[in-house]
Amino acid sequence: MDAEARIGVYLCRRGTGIADAVDFHAVAEYVAKAHGVRLVRDLGFLPALDPAELAAEIAREGLDTVVIAGDSPGFFKPAFTRAMADAGGDPLRVRLASFREHAAGMRDATDRAKATLACAVLGVPYGLAALPDTTSVHPDTLIIGGGVAGIQAALEVAGADKKVYLVERTPTIGGHMAMFDKTFPTLDCAACILTPKMVAVGQHDKIELMTCAEVQEVTGTPGSYRVKILQRAKRVDADACVACHACMEVCPVSVPSEFDDGVTTRKAIFMAFPQAVPNAYVIDAEHCTYVQSDGQRCGACLKKCAKEAIHFEETDRVVEVEVGNIIIATGYDIFDARRIERYGYGTYPNVVTALEFERLTNASGPTGGAIVMKTKKHNRRTKQDEWVFAPDGPRPKSIAIIHCVGSRDANFNPYCSRVCCMYSLKFAHLVKEKLPDAQCYEYYIDMRAFGKGYEEFFERIKEEGVFVVRGRSAKVTGSEDSLVVRGEDILSDKLLEFPVDMVLLAVGLEPARGSEKLATLLRIPRDQDGWFSEADYNTDPTGTERGGIYVAGVCQGPKDIPDTVAQAAAVAARVLRSIVSGRGRDSRDSVSLPEIERRARERAGAST
Amino acid sequence: MAILANPRLVGELEHYGAGDVVKCYHCGNCSAACPFSKEPFIFPRKSMRYLQMGLEDKLRGNLEPWLCYYCGECSEQCPREAEPGEVMMSMRRWLTAQYDFTGISKLFYKSWKAELSAIVAVALLTGLGFWWWGATHGDIRHYDGPQAFLASSFVHAFDWIMGGVLLALLLTNCARMWWFSMGRSRINVPLTEYVRRAWLLPVHFLTQKRYRECEKKRPWAVHLALMLSYVTMLVLIMFFLHAFQEGPEISWPHHSLGYLATIGLIGASVYALRGRIRRSETHYKHSHETDWIFLILLLYVAVTGIVQHALHRFGAGHAANILYLAHMMGVVPMLVLEVPFSKWAHLAYRPLAMYFSELQGAAILAREKSAAPAVRARAA
Repeated sequence: MDAEARIGVYLCRRGTGIADAVDFHAVAEYVAKAHGVRLVRDLGFLPALDPAELAAEIAREGLDTVVIAGDSPGFFKPAFTRAMADAGGDPLRVRLASFREHAAGMRDATDRAKATLACAVLGVPYGLAALPDTTSVHPDTLIIGGGVAGIQAALEVAGADKKVYLVERTPTIGGHMAMFDKTFPTLDCAACILTPKMVAVGQHDKIELMTCAEVQEVTGTPGSYRVKILQRAKRVDADACVACHACMEVCPVSVPSEFDDGVTTRKAIFMAFPQAVPNAYVIDAEHCTYVQSDGQRCGACLKKCAKEAIHFEETDRVVEVEVGNIIIATGYDIFDARRIERYGYGTYPNVVTALEFERLTNASGPTGGAIVMKTKKHNRRTKQDEWVFAPDGPRPKSIAIIHCVGSRDANFNPYCSRVCCMYSLKFAHLVKEKLPDAQCYEYYIDMRAFGKGYEEFFERIKEEGVFVVRGRSAKVTGSEDSLVVRGEDILSDKLLEFPVDMVLLAVGLEPARGSEKLATLLRIPRDQDGWFSEADYNTDPTGTERGGIYVAGVCQGPKDIPDTVAQAAAVAARVLRSIVSGRGRDSRDSVSLPEIERRARERAGAST
Repeated sequence: MAILANPRLVGELEHYGAGDVVKCYHCGNCSAACPFSKEPFIFPRKSMRYLQMGLEDKLRGNLEPWLCYYCGECSEQCPREAEPGEVMMSMRRWLTAQYDFTGISKLFYKSWKAELSAIVAVALLTGLGFWWWGATHGDIRHYDGPQAFLASSFVHAFDWIMGGVLLALLLTNCARMWWFSMGRSRINVPLTEYVRRAWLLPVHFLTQKRYRECEKKRPWAVHLALMLSYVTMLVLIMFFLHAFQEGPEISWPHHSLGYLATIGLIGASVYALRGRIRRSETHYKHSHETDWIFLILLLYVAVTGIVQHALHRFGAGHAANILYLAHMMGVVPMLVLEVPFSKWAHLAYRPLAMYFSELQGAAILAREKSAAPAVRARAA
């Protein structure tokens, strides 16, 4: 910068929002003291600029540089360029300081505006002076949640040769998608897509898979987080276990299977499903007779295991790792249909939720994929009658699917769960495919077939003979073996009330239990519905308010599998960028005003 | 026939309390939840749709609001908090205003200040009028006998004249109601049907048996008690007023009925007031200004009535006469303004609507039945 610089600063406003946030008077006073500034003029709101007058002023003051500052300084630039040329100066020495770009909407807007203006006076691009410092970013990444989002993100990050810790609460990765039968709208087999990815995660040498584990404590700063992970005792050595099932066969304890959403049972030593990853048994200590009796009773599996893989003495332990970035991919839980009593879930055996129906139609499910009604079976152990899905159970002749159960409802969840319309159409197709003579009714409010190929899928289902009824039904009445659904058919102005064999509730999605705890742990906000808040809805859907912490999949808001996978891959790109560039946090307001000024002066000094 | 849509209708109905109707997204939950919603009258959703679309003419002939008893099931379940029950209530208010040809009803529903001013004006006129009559024809110290301040014969004559005027007004409004809903409707109901089913009218009026079909029974019981007390009191006053003034021996058949009716009136109005203050039940959650005026006036009339009676029976003739004046200053505005123009009018409209709707429903179903083979043939 030449010592003789004679700079004129002109402040102008176009809008009102920024003018309210920034104290223009303070900015003018501040810049008047800057080196080389001869003239500061506040032209006010939308001034009518006369180039001839400006030229006269520039010539009178002998200005060689003009800085236009304000919310949209570029709007006023043509007048100044012409005035500069008319005054015989260099028309290229008209600089802009845009408060809209660099100050508006941030904390300390006035300070930001001062810094922006100081940079313009010194002739240094603000972006360069305000660039945050590079920090050393730890190359390892923690991913919380092993559903399809966590799996996809882990494979992307690990695929770039960066280490990943994948922490999963349950004994296997796969999440909800592993429970599904088909995906919409392509009707691909969900397991056929997911299990190869699960195996790839299990075998990847850059992925350290931690199942039966939970994040307990997170300290540190972006780029360097120290994380304590509680590794629950599995009591079976995963490396030694060969999944021969001998232990399971002798285990006397039966509890509802989480993987089958409670419609079947599993043993206390169990593998969630045959393709589980890690492909090894675990012991459910809470229900194991041996653990609960302190080794006094049972122990049948211990005697049976030929590989001596069972270690009852194993205890929970805490693992501490250091990571540069954390990806949250904790997914969702389904809405508890019991909360809407009038649909009779929990009262009538043949009112089932979508997740139960997924297991029912799934070839690996309790009936081998046959759609049946529940039958009453006597349980000899509990001496009680139970309603179970038996492979030889009666086939339903009519099925009603009720949409928006718990979603778009001010009494429960106000938001749309985004997947229910499409999975309901998929179910209707599966019913028609497996039971061509069965009648299938869809009671919907609005059909949200918004994705690629979704509308076409909807049309296809209608052609398959499914009765699509506009009108959410209000109640399900009846008895154990006959149900009556009452609803209004709005488009044909009829009140429908007729018996069906089975009612399927298209339950919505809710933030996974434990989300609140995790949000406190990571110190990131959640929205009013409990989903993790993204940094910016449009431009940063994977970031969070805290640097180095990202979100992927349904935990950020309901979405389907394609969107979840896309977001998971996107988040991996963000993580890799931070590792490669060494910038843990890409946010300009991490640098203070004096620091920006100091750097700008340094750069200006260096350039002369 | 061209259908005219009035885009300002929702805005107008807001004055009657239907502001939340715009939230409705037509899921049909309310129509399926309503215990009264049956073919061919499926409500309340369809009425809400008419309102959103501004189909004023269709709504004017709509009987469905009168078939609703506001049990609140629809509002409790509504996923949009569009308050279908309150919208139906507002439509009843709006219909009352539509049936009334004078426009007074509309004014009262839209402005509680106008209604209150009218009540005060009528009360003052009544007070002055009776005072002047009493002072010129009797003595304020005497409650009964030849020198009675307000002799029962005089009040009786006044009652009959007032009753005649009110009845004429109410009947005109009922005729308009018939014209909107039945007369100009394309569904033809033969006169023989009107006669054949005429028995429905007194049955619905006296038993309110449809209200009993609601899941909750208490609102029905309270409403029936209030209505029966009211009617009993009306009959006692219109026909047996003298029995209450003459003394000193008490005519127990009249008095026991009168006490029962007073208990019913005070009990029901206190119950409703408390419910509205505490918003204890769904149908008490939203209160229009006219609801408050109605209840307070009713309670005032019942209390002043029983107090003046007590004073009279305990021999305080002077005080009894003053209270009697105060009582009349409540009764006259209540009857003159509330019966033809406000909430009391529903004592005629509701049973009429039940009667009309059954006639209309039977006609619609009969027509559908005869048309059904043709539809089936077309479908095939």
